[in-house]
Amino acid sequence: MSGEDCDAFDRGDNDGQKPDKMFTLKKWNAVAMWSWDVECDTCAICRVQVMDACLRCQGESKKDSYGKQDCVVVWGECNHSFHFCCMSLWVKQNNRCPLCQQEWSIQRMGK
Amino acid sequence: MMSLKPRNVDFTETWAHLKETVAGVVGLRAVERSVWNTRFSDVYALCVAHPEPLADRLYDETRNFLEEHVAGLLQRVRGAAPLDHNDHNDGLLTRYVSAWREYSQGVAYLNSLYSYLNLQHVKRQKVSDAEIIYGSSATVTCPEHDARQLEVGELGLEIWERVLVKPLSAALTGRIVRGLAAARGSAPDPAFASTLREAIRSTVQVRAFRVRAPLALYQALVLEPYLAAAAAAHAQLAADLLAAGDVAHYTTHALAGLEREVALGARYLDSSSAEAVRACYERAAVAAHLPTLHATVPGLLREAAAEPPASTERRADLRRMYTLLRPLGPAALRPLVDAAHAQAAADGQALLAQTHSKDEAHTHFVNAMLTLHGKYSKLFSEVFGGAQAFVGALDKACSAVVNSGGAAGSAPELLARYCDCLLRRRAAADADVDDKLAAAIVVFKYVDDKDVFQKYYARALARRLIHQLSASMEQEEAMINRLKAACGYEFTNKLHRMFTDVAVSADLNAKFQQHLRDHNLATSTGFFIQVLQAGAWPLGGAMAPLAPPPQLERPARQFEAFYRNMFSGRRLAWLHHLCSGELRTRYTARQYHVAASTAQCALLLSFDAVDSWNARELRDTLQLEGDAWGRQLRPLLDAGLLLASGDVGTEEEEIPPEARVSLNLAFSCKRTKVRVTCASAPAQGGGAGGGGAAASDAGDAAHCDDDRKMYLQAAIVRIMKQRKVLRHTELIQEVVSQARGSFAPSVAMIKKCIEALIDKQYLERAPAALDTYSYLA
Repeated sequence: MSGEDCDAFDRGDNDGQKPDKMFTLKKWNAVAMWSWDVECDTCAICRVQVMDACLRCQGESKKDSYGKQDCVVVWGECNHSFHFCCMSLWVKQNNRCPLCQQEWSIQRMGK
Repeated sequence: MMSLKPRNVDFTETWAHLKETVAGVVGLRAVERSVWNTRFSDVYALCVAHPEPLADRLYDETRNFLEEHVAGLLQRVRGAAPLDHNDHNDGLLTRYVSAWREYSQGVAYLNSLYSYLNLQHVKRQKVSDAEIIYGSSATVTCPEHDARQLEVGELGLEIWERVLVKPLSAALTGRIVRGLAAARGSAPDPAFASTLREAIRSTVQVRAFRVRAPLALYQALVLEPYLAAAAAAHAQLAADLLAAGDVAHYTTHALAGLEREVALGARYLDSSSAEAVRACYERAAVAAHLPTLHATVPGLLREAAAEPPASTERRADLRRMYTLLRPLGPAALRPLVDAAHAQAAADGQALLAQTHSKDEAHTHFVNAMLTLHGKYSKLFSEVFGGAQAFVGALDKACSAVVNSGGAAGSAPELLARYCDCLLRRRAAADADVDDKLAAAIVVFKYVDDKDVFQKYYARALARRLIHQLSASMEQEEAMINRLKAACGYEFTNKLHRMFTDVAVSADLNAKFQQHLRDHNLATSTGFFIQVLQAGAWPLGGAMAPLAPPPQLERPARQFEAFYRNMFSGRRLAWLHHLCSGELRTRYTARQYHVAASTAQCALLLSFDAVDSWNARELRDTLQLEGDAWGRQLRPLLDAGLLLASGDVGTEEEEIPPEARVSLNLAFSCKRTKVRVTCASAPAQGGGAGGGGAAASDAGDAAHCDDDRKMYLQAAIVRIMKQRKVLRHTELIQEVVSQARGSFAPSVAMIKKCIEALIDKQYLERAPAALDTYSYLA
């Protein structure tokens, strides 16, 4: 299935003689599932699964715009994660992680 | 030529002249212009006479004269005919009408002659309309009965009524009623018709000047006696009709009778009576026989439901019946509506019960429902003019039939299967798929358990999307949008997300291929990946564990790296049980293309370098655990691609771990494409983590129940948060109305949810009232 496979394209003319590979992988339809790489799969602020849009966004019936979710996840330095929408409202009142009370600073954003 | 100045007038002399002219005017004899002018002046002179105005005396004398005159007319009208028999042709009506014509005309002229008296003398005394209607201190009694003076024209009419009509009233009434009865049977000769009409109109005109009860005389003299007589006649007619023949006979003639009656009323009676005439007929001829009519309705409906032309007559009967009953109000129609409902429901059950093959249960179900709906919509709009009550009855019947459940399965399941079959790619393209899907929405709207439908539909959609079985993405999207239009955003949210994932994946594949080309990593393997978002797909939890061989591992790793680069904070999990691959054999004389599941591909690829494996070793290498091992390996053995030494038993048994599995180098098959089918069979998905794909119905129902409870609890909390305090019945009502969009909740389930919320301290029973809840913030 690598480059060599393509070169050794010697088909069925090897009567009786055993080829080095018995099979060629012609096609592979793979299916994978992605999820946010989080420790806890519910957002502690709105109690909705982080894979779903947060409560506010659901209320406003926002659609996922082609692939990129509007309602992404954000990780703090403490490694706790929340909906970005929820957290940005939260920090306006209290700049600490609601779970561990550490000063909130963003480690990374989901994309 | 004459002085307007008041002067001394000799009343007796002037009145003698005036009286002569008045007699001439009232008798419609020729009066010369100059005489008319002189008499006009005489009236003026009398009114302004000096020293005492003589208006009152003139008025009284005029009244006396008119009374005498009318008394004379009375004699003329009465003639020699005896009054106590009611022969309408005895000439009394004719004489009456001719006298009335003459007199009413004459009095109208007289009114002009006396216009000065009217204007100056009477008007001043007259009370205004407003005073008559609303009353005032000055007018305590009815103006008609006190001694107040009337205008001369009105005086004449009043005298006519008092002196002539009163003594003749019974005779007139009797003749008019008889005359009308005769006119109902057959059209009278034009002369008599106009006599009758004028006689009736005179009773209106004689009181037309009155503000209060202008129609009282007409009503007492004509309308009421007529209606009483007519009611008896109608009742007799209806009874005769019902006795003489069936309902068809009755409705036809009763409706014709109604038209005749309305026409008769319009021709002879005052226009204000049209409603009363119609109501009288309906009461006497229709309402009195309601029970008899209602009893025939179910039978009529049954026959009308047959295909035309056989049913054309019955439909016409029903239409006439409806026309007759509609004015009688909803209560009279109720049995019709109930019968319509019963008929549609019974027909629906019969349609569902028709024999059909098991595989076609879903098509049969949807087609039966569409037939039912189409047939009765058409019938009801044809027969009942599409009246709201009947549309409602049809809706109720359809909903009852749809949700009745049958041997073939529940409505949501059958409907979802129907949609699935239409949306799948098939050999023969169906031209009217769009129409059929749109029609399926008609049935969908009647389904109570829409949430169950959603689960079935989502699962079928997932299968179609993952295995690329959809006939067309446009159709898929259109169908999701139809469901959304019927049930709202929330209902199709997940379906939309699944759909979006597929579109995103296509984009992602293109980018990945570009990435491979850019980095010279391209291979001959057709690698295609779908990346699904967790949470939106009904795929169940557990993944099939598999340690893929390097041939599969490599593109997977490449893609993971690429994906990590594109996104951040995301985790990828491979759903091997949903993947499939295609291998080309290189060791056989003919080339074979083998399509199989990932695990089977992995099994085959393990023989790339090794001809035979110890079964246990092979299993451990690939980490195929539990029954997945047997399930994946067995079809390969059955297809003859692999051989197993020793006794490997039959289908059901375990493959012994000591057995040796080897590649069948002499594999041959008629076709060059070998599909190892078992992979996509439902049994495969079952255990190996495709849990959702083919879970048992029992587990499914439980899952659905849980979802419903959550939904109901959320609804209760929402309602209570808003209302704070609410009675039990009202709360139940509100919850039911909120849930109706997706399912019909049972009261018992709502009660359980309320209990649960009380336990969780969201609610409490209000301390004062037994059946009231209050919200705990």
